[in-house]
Amino acid sequence: MKKTALYALLLLVITLILPLFLSSYGIFLTTEIYIMAVFAMSLGLIMGYAGLVSLGHAAFFGIGAYTVAILGDYVGNTYVLLICAILLSALIAFISGYFFIRVSQFYFLMITLAFGQLLYALIWQLKPITGGADGRSVSPVLNFGWGNLLDPVHIYYVTAVLFVLVYFILRLFVHSPLGQTIKGVMENESRMKMLGYNADAYKLVAYTFSGAVAGVAGAIYAYYNVFVSPELVAWLFSGQVLVMVIVGGMGTLLGPAVGAGFFVLLQNYMSTYTERWMLIMGIIFIFFVIVGRGGLIHLVMAIWERIKPGHKRSAKKEINQSESGGIT
Amino acid sequence: MSLSLAAAQILTGLTFGMLYFLIAVGLSIILGVMNVVNLAHGSMFVLGAYMAYSFIGTGLNFWTALILSLIISGVIGAIIERVLLTRAYGKPLEQALLTFGLAFVMADVMKWIWGTSLYRINTPTLFNFSIDLGTVSFPAYRLFIVVVGIIIAIILWYMESKTRIGAIVRAGVDDREMVSALGINVRAVFTGVFVFGAVIAALGGVLGGPVLGMYPGLDFSVLVTSLIVVVIGGLGSWKGSFVAAIMVGLIETIGNIWFPALSMFLIFLVMILVLMIKPSGLFGRGEIT
Repeated sequence: MKKTALYALLLLVITLILPLFLSSYGIFLTTEIYIMAVFAMSLGLIMGYAGLVSLGHAAFFGIGAYTVAILGDYVGNTYVLLICAILLSALIAFISGYFFIRVSQFYFLMITLAFGQLLYALIWQLKPITGGADGRSVSPVLNFGWGNLLDPVHIYYVTAVLFVLVYFILRLFVHSPLGQTIKGVMENESRMKMLGYNADAYKLVAYTFSGAVAGVAGAIYAYYNVFVSPELVAWLFSGQVLVMVIVGGMGTLLGPAVGAGFFVLLQNYMSTYTERWMLIMGIIFIFFVIVGRGGLIHLVMAIWERIKPGHKRSAKKEINQSESGGIT
Repeated sequence: MSLSLAAAQILTGLTFGMLYFLIAVGLSIILGVMNVVNLAHGSMFVLGAYMAYSFIGTGLNFWTALILSLIISGVIGAIIERVLLTRAYGKPLEQALLTFGLAFVMADVMKWIWGTSLYRINTPTLFNFSIDLGTVSFPAYRLFIVVVGIIIAIILWYMESKTRIGAIVRAGVDDREMVSALGINVRAVFTGVFVFGAVIAALGGVLGGPVLGMYPGLDFSVLVTSLIVVVIGGLGSWKGSFVAAIMVGLIETIGNIWFPALSMFLIFLVMILVLMIKPSGLFGRGEIT
C-alpha cells in the first residue's frame, strides 16, 4: 500500500512538472496522450478484465464528445455537461450492452462493430444537429469554477488530473470484490455461474462503467479539440483504440495507457515522413498479436526488473497479471 | 407509387441482396467451419473489384478481367490462410484480431495503389441495356446480378447436400474435432473454405463494381452489412445468408425510399429482434463458442 502511494506521488509529480520541459507542441501532444490513455484504459478494462472485445468502443467516446458539443450550445456549465456526457454514454452502454452481452464473443465483436457504424451513419444523417459529415465546432469552455481554462497548459493539467483520477478509480474498481467477481466470470464463466453469480449482469456492469469512462474521455476531447466530427465514432477510431490496448498490453490497467502514448507519438512522428501510417499501424498490430503477448508494458516491466536490483514484487505481479490475462 | 416503380425497387433491393449474399456466405461458412471472424472479408470484396478495374484498363474485356481477378483473389486468400491465420489456430480471438490488422493493411495498400477517388467498372456491353417495366426501365445488368446470385445459391445447395465436400463442411460446422478424428485433412479443408470465401467475395466485388463502384471505406461498410446478414441468417449455412441478405437488401432499398435517414437503423433493429427471439440466427446450425 505504501509503495502504491509512493508511485502515485511520483506519477503526480512527473505530470505536474512535465510542462516545464515541453514545447507547446509537446504539451499539446501529451494532452492528447492523456485523453487517449483514458479512452484506451476504458476499453482495456472490458477486454482484460471482462473478456469483452469490442470493435465499436469509439461509439461511447463519440457520444461523450457530441454531448458536450450539442448540449454546450444551450448550457455552459462544465460540471453539468460532463455529468450529462457520463450519464448518456453510460445509459447507451447499458442499453446496448443489455442486448449485446448475452451473445457469444464473436457475435459481440461483430455487433459492436455494427453498432459503431450505426451511430456513425446517424451522425452523418442528423446534419442539422450534428453538422453531418463536416462535423461541428464546440462552443463551451472548460470552467471548473475558477475562471475559463483556455491556455493549453491549463487543459494539459485538466487531462493529467483526469488521467490519474481515472487510473486510480479503475484500480479501485478492479481490486474491489465486484471487480474480482467480474474477472472471475471472464476466467471461468461456467464455474462462476455454478456458484450462483449472474455472469451477464456482472459483465453488463463492467461494460456500462467502461462506456462511462470512454464518454468522459470523449467529453474532454471535445473541449480539447474544440471540434467534433463523425470520425470520432468511425470503425477506424475504434480500431485504433483496440490497437492501443493490444500493443500496450491487455490484462493490465496501465498497459493500454502505455499503448496510447506509443501510438500517439508514433503517429505524429511517422506522419511527417510517410502517408502510409495505417499500413505501418496494421503491421505493428499484427506483429503484437502474433508475437508480443503481454504487449509493451510486459517489455517495459521486464527491462525494469533487470535494471532494478533486488526482488520487485509489484512489478512481477503486474507481469503475471498480463500473462494470465493474455488473449486466449 | 405505381406498380412498375415498386417492381423496380424490389429488383434493386434484390440486386443489393445478392451482392450481400455473395460476401456474407463466405463469411458465414468461414466462421462456421474455421471459427474465424474474417474482418478482412470486405477488403477482399473491394480488392477484387479494383483488380478487375485495372485489368479492364489494360484492354481486357470484363469477363477475362473477372476470371483473372477471381484467380488472384483465391491465391491471396490461400496466402492469408497459410501464412497468417495458421499462426493462431486454436486462438480464435487472435485470428479475428489478425484479420482486423490485415483489413487496416489492405485498406492502406489499396489507397496506395488506386488512390482515393471513386472508380466504377463499366457495365459489360452484353448487358448494357435496359428492360422496360411500363413507366420505368430497369438496367439489365442488375437483373444479371440477381440471376448470378440465384445460380450461386443453387450451386451451393447442390454442393452442400449432394457432394462429399458439402458433407465435410456441414460436419465441420457441427463438430470440428470429430471431423479431424475421422481422418479428414482439416488443414486442407480450412484452406479450401477460406479460398472459397475469398473468391466468392471477389466475385461479389467485381459484379458489384458497375453498381456500387469502389472507394476507400467501401470495404468496411460492406463488411458491416454482411456481418449483420450473418448474424440474422445464422452461421455456416448458405440458406441463412441467402434469405437474410435478400431481407437486408430489400429493407435497405425500401427503407431508403420511405425513411432515408433510418434505413441503417431499420436493418440494425431487425438484427436486434432476431437476436432476441432466436440468438443463433434464422437458419443457424452450429453454436459458436
